[in-house]
Amino acid sequence: MRADLIALLPELMLATLAMAVLLAGLASGKARHGLLGAGAVLALAATGVTLWLAAGATDPGAHFFSGMFVLDHFAIFFKALFLLTAALVVLLSHDYLKRNDYRPGEYLALVMFATVGMMTMASGVNLAVIYVGLELMALSTYILAGYFRREVKSHEAAAKYFVLGAMSSGILLYGLSLIYGATGTLDLATLARVLASAKPGPSALVGVALLACGFLFKVAAVPFHVWTPDVYEGAPTPITAFMSVGPKAAAFAMFLRVFIGGLAPLAASWIWLVGVAAALTMIWGNVAALTQDNVKRMLAYSSIAHAGYALVGLVAGGPAGVNSVLFYMLVYTVTNIGAFGFVILLESRGYAGETVADYAGLARRHPAAAFGMLLFMLSLGGIPPTAGFMGKLYLFAAAVNAGYVWLVVVAVLMSAVSLYYYLRIVLQMYLREGDGAEPATLVAAPWTERVIWACGVAVLVIGLLPAPFLAAARAMAGAVGLL
Amino acid sequence: MISTAHVLVLSLALFTLGVVGMAVRRNFITVLMCVELILNAANLNFIAFSRQLGDLTGQVFAVFVITIAAAEAAIGLGIIVALVRLKQTVNLDQVNVMEG
Amino acid sequence: MPTDFLLSAIVLTPGVVGLLLLATPREAVRLQRWVSLLASVATLVFAAVAWSRIDPANASFQFVEARTWLPSLGIGYRLGMDGISLVLVLLTALLQPIVFISSWRSIHDKVKGYVVAMLLLETGVLGAFLATDMFLFYVFWELMLVPMYFIIGVWGGERRIYAAVKFVLFTLAGSLLMLVAIIYLSFVFHSQTGTWSFAYEDMLRASVPMGQGFWHSPQMLLFAAFALAFAIKVPIFPLHTWLPDAHTEAPTGGSIILAGVLLKLGTYGLLRFNRPLFPEAWQRATPLFLTLAVIGIVYGALVAWAQKDMKKLVAYSSVTHMGFIVLGLFAGTLTSTQGALLQMVNHGLSTGALFLLVGVVYDRRHTRMIEDFGGLAAVMPLYTGAFLIATLSSIGLPGLNGFVGEFLILTGAFPRHPAVVAVAATGVVLGAVYMLSLVRRVFWNPLAIEANRSLPDLTWREVLAFAPLAFFMVWIGVHPGTFLSLSEAAVRRLIGG
Repeated sequence: MRADLIALLPELMLATLAMAVLLAGLASGKARHGLLGAGAVLALAATGVTLWLAAGATDPGAHFFSGMFVLDHFAIFFKALFLLTAALVVLLSHDYLKRNDYRPGEYLALVMFATVGMMTMASGVNLAVIYVGLELMALSTYILAGYFRREVKSHEAAAKYFVLGAMSSGILLYGLSLIYGATGTLDLATLARVLASAKPGPSALVGVALLACGFLFKVAAVPFHVWTPDVYEGAPTPITAFMSVGPKAAAFAMFLRVFIGGLAPLAASWIWLVGVAAALTMIWGNVAALTQDNVKRMLAYSSIAHAGYALVGLVAGGPAGVNSVLFYMLVYTVTNIGAFGFVILLESRGYAGETVADYAGLARRHPAAAFGMLLFMLSLGGIPPTAGFMGKLYLFAAAVNAGYVWLVVVAVLMSAVSLYYYLRIVLQMYLREGDGAEPATLVAAPWTERVIWACGVAVLVIGLLPAPFLAAARAMAGAVGLL
Repeated sequence: MISTAHVLVLSLALFTLGVVGMAVRRNFITVLMCVELILNAANLNFIAFSRQLGDLTGQVFAVFVITIAAAEAAIGLGIIVALVRLKQTVNLDQVNVMEG
Repeated sequence: MPTDFLLSAIVLTPGVVGLLLLATPREAVRLQRWVSLLASVATLVFAAVAWSRIDPANASFQFVEARTWLPSLGIGYRLGMDGISLVLVLLTALLQPIVFISSWRSIHDKVKGYVVAMLLLETGVLGAFLATDMFLFYVFWELMLVPMYFIIGVWGGERRIYAAVKFVLFTLAGSLLMLVAIIYLSFVFHSQTGTWSFAYEDMLRASVPMGQGFWHSPQMLLFAAFALAFAIKVPIFPLHTWLPDAHTEAPTGGSIILAGVLLKLGTYGLLRFNRPLFPEAWQRATPLFLTLAVIGIVYGALVAWAQKDMKKLVAYSSVTHMGFIVLGLFAGTLTSTQGALLQMVNHGLSTGALFLLVGVVYDRRHTRMIEDFGGLAAVMPLYTGAFLIATLSSIGLPGLNGFVGEFLILTGAFPRHPAVVAVAATGVVLGAVYMLSLVRRVFWNPLAIEANRSLPDLTWREVLAFAPLAFFMVWIGVHPGTFLSLSEAAVRRLIGG
């Protein structure tokens, strides 16, 4: 029992601190942005330390809570990534909330609750645990999407996200129930044993198909992507940044755990489904992004496309494939948070900051920020020497190695397409002069700028010296314990 | 005697109703009810399989799902209330200001 | 001077200085100009040191540097130089200071960005010539893309944005498929030996299965993926359509680098990678590439003849010249390949000079239309002389460099492909026709336009930029053996003769 609690300690701690932040927010009124934000960051950092201690105190191969919960390297990697994401998002939100005059207490608490959900998803080796974590994450994010309650767009985002998210959770759950019926278990390891020993019946296959649909929904893969652009556009921008990386990475953690782990014996029946979804996702995400004028929508389609690239790694499977997905999630997180940080920086007085044309001539007025955005766009487009290039290299190498050359060819062609719209932003910033009235200078947003700096440095460092990060990701993937 | 197959047929009907309802109905409250239909279809499955397999896990999971469904309904209703305050409507089509 | 880090010094000097210049204030224009020029001259000095130290009789890579970078995939920071890369590195290092001198006055807006982009571009080019790791080669190859995008897009002409985007998309479409091919090649090596490596020398040992047909032949597909990337860069007809746009819109310095160096990467890649890595596929593809080369030669010449814009004319003449180089490579004999390599240098010198000189009148008159000029010989005697030298070099007058290259290519190819040589020879004639007609119309037609009467002749700075080019045109023309002997052993090794 004591070991169980130690393994769960990071989640317990973060949930408790989230409630403390919630109460402090209620007690302190509006004005205490700095205090609450600092509290949230400290809470996340403390959770990170706890995670480190808990990882040291437990055996990575051990199971807790009667085999429902693990704290293996895979889970630790993702938890650290989620905590990092949440901390960056909290920092990005600080100036944004203050500027738009919304209370920080509930907001920060919800981000933390969502993080608890994601951490649970990464640790669950029982479908019930994974489902509970998923719902905790999803429910928190529904509210966050609609947090700007004075804006219609935010409401629309929340309503759409809720409807489609609830539907996907329901479909996923129904799939789980069929798998449970066919195999009599919700435990992933037992599931793999049962499926390997007997030929699965049609109901199990239908269950897997429904489960795959639910998962593809959560990672916003085509054809289950329609909610993404509206939700990303309407939600408060830091939350868009959060949704585009955190829940997506969590969904991939769950996807890897369940499909590469528990459902591996059925690989022949789901791998083509995921492969086709990956190809369609890359094609549709990139092609649709070409015509977007709203930057948030463009980044939404771009994030759809990136889910497609990551799915390539999932299809490749094996240690190399899992390793590449983990690494890619890290790369994608720092890049995308940085890019959204830049969008947040522009959403201030004088700039609408939403359409591509608003970026005209920015390089001259704000060279440092524009340079950061250049890095992020190149990284998303996969151009060396940025992190995005290294991420793609490993995905593609894993897929070529596993024999999916056609998928890689689709991926690289779509990368070329994607560079067109990433360069549109660069083009506006560097090649065009802002015409008409000189836009107001940016409102000071020191924390947002610091996040952009940090992400920019990370993009370059990972791009030039990826070896240590890869080694970390490999150590994690090797210990998924399911391979 | 009600067999698992009977329950499965019922749950499948509920599930289909729920999914189709969510796809075609534009009234947010109806949509919320459809969510409940889907979740409870899954619950029925879990309980029926649990009985058939003689394994309690399914029933426990159903209890969890009921709890989550309650939270989900609360949040859905919260979104509806906020929406009505702002736009005086529960129709999803009338909140459509973005392109999609 | 120890040579342990010589190649790193050549490759990294421009880029590192460029990044340091990023930190200087925008107004420090003089500093930026001088430092960038000095950095490029330093690179030239390093390249000259390599020239003096290299052993031309040794066909393998020299001054080798190897450091692990991504050990799990066997990717390393590997640099090496043989005679072939030496010649092209010298060309690049020579052209870069000339670019800076030529744009000393003509680029006055956003100078910092310009010199930084140019220096990063130089690092990309030199790195691509010297990389002996497939992956590192690809990184440098892609590194060139972004600076060139900015050089065309920021400092270019009216349709610069269209040209910049077109350049990037064409280049990228080809190069990404090459990335897949590189990964696949490494995968083949892995499956044959059990170890991961991206080293060029290792790849030479991997034998890619030939298979049946095209779609079921790994070697043909890999050949195609590499060749597509390089053919776009060269550019080989019909993939050349980005070139006139990019050339016309790029600023003078950008055009010089683009024509002088970047195009050479395409032909260098064909020679360095396609030829030895996929020998059977190379044989199979030879007829196709010879045909395309000849079409390019004749088509480029005819289109150049019809141009009204001097810069476009020079751009299309590049299509012709590059066609000769491709012809020389695919003809496959030692003589023709050596000729092709020499012609790469020649084209860099002569076309670079022509772009430089077109830029001179463009700076003065802000037009490049042939009809806007006439009778310049009377007003600008120095300029006329320089233009004549460059023209004669370009059309292959004996005694200048162009003649040697074309002669070697055609004589080397004749025994095997007489018909091809016969058609290509008409390209030589056509080249003389349109270039001389250009000279006649610009320099000897009546001096009808008033604005041309008061044009100042070449300044000392412009003479300084042109002089080294003329010097090497004559040197190669009179004594080509200096340069041919440098690369002979390395070429022999690559073509297996």
